[in-house]
Amino acid sequence: MAVGRRDGQAGADVLRRAGEASVLILISLADGPKHGYALIQDIKELAGLELGPGTLYGALDRLERLGLIESLPAEDRRHPYRITAPGAAALRGHLDSLERVSAAGRLRLQLGGI
Amino acid sequence: MDDSRQGGLVRAALRCYPARWRRRHGDEAAELAALLIRDGTPVVSIACSYLTGAAREWLTPRPGQRLSAVACVLLAAACVLGVSAGLLASAGPARAASAGRARGREPCPGVTGFIPATGRPPLIIPGAGHGRSCGP
Repeated sequence: MAVGRRDGQAGADVLRRAGEASVLILISLADGPKHGYALIQDIKELAGLELGPGTLYGALDRLERLGLIESLPAEDRRHPYRITAPGAAALRGHLDSLERVSAAGRLRLQLGGI
Repeated sequence: MDDSRQGGLVRAALRCYPARWRRRHGDEAAELAALLIRDGTPVVSIACSYLTGAAREWLTPRPGQRLSAVACVLLAAACVLGVSAGLLASAGPARAASAGRARGREPCPGVTGFIPATGRPPLIIPGAGHGRSCGP
């Protein structure tokens, strides 16, 4: 199942199901291609979360099957991955949705006086 | 743990992946594990992560996976369920009959047991176990 190029909302829904690791990988790839080790290091810096290598490859395969990332020709033994246009749209949609939820949460905390 | 044993543990975990996955990611995954070990990540946690990933890889159906394999698994599961249900259904009336005999009473007619006229399987009426004595 690949996400349509213009279908950001569907992409956001897919990402919601795909899990946190997939979102973090897409965020990490948003500023350029990276291979596995670089992704783990970047996500550790970015989110303070150390992805296990098994989790990383599972998420990479899932994102590739969905058409949200693509594998570039191998450098040595490492495969760099690049975010695709549908991947960028899906990430944007997902982040927008998180922002809306976050804003609503903050507003309710304020209204509740907590 | 020395380097060769560490490497052996990771290699063993990587061997648990399907061959298709190993052809695509195997070398890179081994190199990544070596880099993570060098950085101080415990080898056991790397091996566990790969083992979990391997289990997920085997359990996740792929678009190219042969449909017949999935159908066989589903058929086997249905057979096991059917046999279990059959055993339960046949054990229930037998147990009720033997319990009735043990109390020196006949089992309630029509509640459980074979229908004499048809010889059909047991008929169980929920709520019919009324606690009244049906026997003499």
